[in-house]
Amino acid sequence: MKNHWHEQIQRHLNGQSSAEEAAAMHQALSDDAELRALYVDYANLDVALGAAADKTIFGGDELDRTVNFPPARSWRSPQSWRWLAAAAACATAIAFFVLSKPRHSAPARPDIAATIASTQSAIARLSVEPVSSLPWWTSPTASLLNPPVLRQWRQAEPVPKPQTPTPQPS
Amino acid sequence: MHDLSDQHHEQFLRLFAESEAALRTFVRSLLPLRGDAAETMQDVAVVLWQKFAEFDATRDFRRWAFGVARVEALKFRRDKLRDRHVFDDQLVDKIAEAAAAAGSRHEAQREALEACLQKLPGSQRALVLAAYAKGTRMDELAAQRGQTAMSLYKLLQRIRQALLECVQRTIAQEELT
Repeated sequence: MKNHWHEQIQRHLNGQSSAEEAAAMHQALSDDAELRALYVDYANLDVALGAAADKTIFGGDELDRTVNFPPARSWRSPQSWRWLAAAAACATAIAFFVLSKPRHSAPARPDIAATIASTQSAIARLSVEPVSSLPWWTSPTASLLNPPVLRQWRQAEPVPKPQTPTPQPS
Repeated sequence: MHDLSDQHHEQFLRLFAESEAALRTFVRSLLPLRGDAAETMQDVAVVLWQKFAEFDATRDFRRWAFGVARVEALKFRRDKLRDRHVFDDQLVDKIAEAAAAAGSRHEAQREALEACLQKLPGSQRALVLAAYAKGTRMDELAAQRGQTAMSLYKLLQRIRQALLECVQRTIAQEELT
């Protein structure tokens, strides 16, 4: 095979052919099966050299010295774990802050109201006096113990009088 | 336990891996730049997977894949290479036949290349691998070496020709023994 075609094929595969060169090669390739075989051999060599270059880069061969690729970092290095742990701690703190933040706009739920009512009722039945001596509006806990309903219910209940010892006639 | 989709996927990967190098060579022979061929090859792989459900398992996968690759390469040329000098459909068919027929020869050439690269002088080996490394620009590589891009292209042409002749000799010797 003439050296001329070796050069022309490579020029074409590099996108360097002029219009005249491309037309001449188109004609020659159409007519000559041997030239087509050479053409696909060069295409195959081109692909194989690309693969060899990739392999050399990952294998750390002499190409590293030619084009100065930085050495690949190991994923399992202690520093990378430190960064990972710090990032995880930050994410946890942010998540805790967001989740523990009170939601002011959330409407009161019926089950909470029912719980409050049953608690009031139970306290009233036990006739326990409020522990807090503060007015009810100053304390959320005290306000639970002083609703009007509770007071009415307690007024209706007969209050047992303490039994005083009757004086014995001497 | 693998379900049907896993088996389907494994079957595709096995067939694709067997034909990938030949497909790359074929696509490369239809497109005048390495980057274009690599981009098209990505599309080919995606389309092959998308259409794999339609593939008749009794047929030759490589032939079917070549058909898909041909369509994708022509699509790329039609969309992006309007001003380039490209082959007509008849020549594309002939090149496809040549690439398909050269399957085992190309495999042997790829295997022989490693030894032939080792036979090159160290500076030439480093140069050709640097030229084929991803992201390398020829003008920058030429400037690093203190030469013109044209003289670098000429040098690479001679190295490639030497490599091709080396792999062809190696295969001929192996066939004799």
